[in-house]
Amino acid sequence: MAVLAKSRPRQAAPAPVSKIRHRDGWWAAFFLAPQVAGLFVFLIFPLGFAVALAFMKWDGLGDKSWVGFDNFTTMLADQDFGIAIWNTFKLALMTIPVGLGLALVIAVALNTVKGKGFYRVLYFLPVVTSSVAVALMWQVILASGDYGILNNTFLKWGITLPAWLEDPVWVQVAIAVVTIWSSLGLNVVIFLAGLQTIPPQLVEAARIDGASPVRIFRSVTLPLISPTIFFTLIVSLISSLQAFDQIYVLVDPQHNDGARTIVYQVYELGFKKFEFGLSSAAALILLVLTLVVTLVQFGAQKRFVHYDS
Amino acid sequence: MKKLAVLAALALAVTACSGSNAGSGVKQADGKVTIRWATWGSAEDVAFYKEFNDAFMKKHPNIVLKMESVPEYGDYHPKLLTQLTSKTAPDVFFVGDDNIGKFVSAGVLQPLNDQLAGPDSKSKPEDFFEGVYGGAKKDGQIYGMPNDVNPEVLWYDKKALQAAGITEDPATLHAAGQWTMAKYLDMNAKLKSAGKAGSIFWNWYGSTYSVINGFGGKVWDGGRFVATTDPKSRQALETLAKGYADKTFLSADVLPSGNGASTQFVKHKVGFYAGGRWLVDTVKKGGDPASYDIVPFPSETGAPMSGAVAASYLSINKESKAPKEAFTFLTEFVSKEGQLVRLKGGGAVPSVKGAEQIVLDGYPAHAQTFLDVRDTGFANYAEEVSVPGLTASINEHLMKVWSGKVAFEQGMTELQQLVESKLG
Repeated sequence: MAVLAKSRPRQAAPAPVSKIRHRDGWWAAFFLAPQVAGLFVFLIFPLGFAVALAFMKWDGLGDKSWVGFDNFTTMLADQDFGIAIWNTFKLALMTIPVGLGLALVIAVALNTVKGKGFYRVLYFLPVVTSSVAVALMWQVILASGDYGILNNTFLKWGITLPAWLEDPVWVQVAIAVVTIWSSLGLNVVIFLAGLQTIPPQLVEAARIDGASPVRIFRSVTLPLISPTIFFTLIVSLISSLQAFDQIYVLVDPQHNDGARTIVYQVYELGFKKFEFGLSSAAALILLVLTLVVTLVQFGAQKRFVHYDS
Repeated sequence: MKKLAVLAALALAVTACSGSNAGSGVKQADGKVTIRWATWGSAEDVAFYKEFNDAFMKKHPNIVLKMESVPEYGDYHPKLLTQLTSKTAPDVFFVGDDNIGKFVSAGVLQPLNDQLAGPDSKSKPEDFFEGVYGGAKKDGQIYGMPNDVNPEVLWYDKKALQAAGITEDPATLHAAGQWTMAKYLDMNAKLKSAGKAGSIFWNWYGSTYSVINGFGGKVWDGGRFVATTDPKSRQALETLAKGYADKTFLSADVLPSGNGASTQFVKHKVGFYAGGRWLVDTVKKGGDPASYDIVPFPSETGAPMSGAVAASYLSINKESKAPKEAFTFLTEFVSKEGQLVRLKGGGAVPSVKGAEQIVLDGYPAHAQTFLDVRDTGFANYAEEVSVPGLTASINEHLMKVWSGKVAFEQGMTELQQLVESKLG
């Protein structure tokens, strides 16, 4: 018995739980460190710096000086900034209802056709195309006079179309069309994904009960994809408020007030006029506007978004 | 030990995120020094710069040049500013005449007087025309050497003038001392009546101040901005505003890209186009170069007057780790030999004395005008360039007047207030 006891391999006493947790904690910290560093370098520091700059006067090279809330009062009294805010919201109002409505109709249609993968790729192509290339292509289509493909074609039939990219009113229509065209594919794909989560037995039950296709869409499909609609609404609104790159290439907002958006204003103040304090203040105002609009949407979603399937 | 590992990972990640000068200005193991230099320019410009780079590196095997070019002038300075702020700017870089004052004031450029006076310098400050230093010179110290210049002249289209019933030739009138503002405005009115535009201007001080000078007005007087208060200057600005309103004048800045200033000019839809030697390429590509010639801006009396000269400068980064090699590049780049290589394709006029033959290549017929305007011209007013951003603010405000967004009288009042507020 004693021999047996001696020959049994000795088992190490288990480490205390607290020690294991402590050791794992250090490993976790080790692996998380790069991400934490990235977060600080790319998010927290720039955000903090932008907030601080909003209260400073700085031309990018010289000394910085504190100016309190002067940058905010200057921006809120600035006529061009007012135009930019108004244009940005107008653009959102023009693009979101039409863009999402169209995407939903296309998605519902595609949901029942054969070879939907092919159409999905087709609609998604503009999304994966460089926004600069998209803008340049539309520039050729929409150029005024006999230089643009669209205007020149209509001119041959004796119809004179507006100067889409020069007229401060029509330029907004042109931007809205380009925005809807380039974002349509993404919304169609998201809606399609939403539609495919609807249990077929619910639609089948409604059909057996004698519901018409319109009634099925209104009473079954729409409520069930309302979370998807809400998601695309939030994403579309935020991206509308941040509209910049395509507009910057398509039109020069410096000389066309109709194309002036909030983010263009931020860019112009910072990188063309080197007024980094004013630029940061404008960016912070945009942040607050985005937060308010998103909160309002979250408040409103309780009424029309259904999460029960 | 574990704490150390975590800190090391953190440090590594932060280091990976930080900027780098990519070995700029540092002597490599093989004894070579890399000099990064930045410029803006078209594909044609860049091709000539590459030719210069190759010749330079052959001559100086210990220096490796890395050129960083940006196609658009408007995108160049924001990038440079970001690089300067983050201490990743090239060793040597171009600076536009509208930004040089700001960079000089910020103290990011290396003073050049000592090196220019030294034995390694290929050219002396006096080899360049005094008027083109503009904001690159402060309190006698030079912070940037003029690369090359573009004297602002009026290009005119003989066919467009002829179609408008204009029989007098502007260059001939100039030679006879009869090229007056009255004659010029009369030609513009005739062009307008013939269904064409009179003149196209870019909205910058070169055009605006040349018109003011042509009316006999002043922009700055005794350190004060008088463009809105001097009667002749105000008359000039009002003439411009009315001309833009009734489309006698067109602003090149707002013309659509597909039907821009160059297109309209080569299609004989406009009589005059204010520009520099960079237009040579445009009118030649237009297919009818014989129809075009140049003349200086008209004066009140017909006597020659000082014209605006657009300039760009080559400066050395104060933080460069190889200032000696950077200067070797700078001095050869701006030297007569350097300019002869770079400017043979057109585009600009040499800023250094003795390289005139490159301009007098037979086109346009009165190419000598480029040199005349350069020799007596100015690169903006010292009072203006000394205040960072002032010229840009003036141009921006004037654009509101030209486009009719702000009424003329209100625009002048606001412009005066704007300048005074910037002057402090």
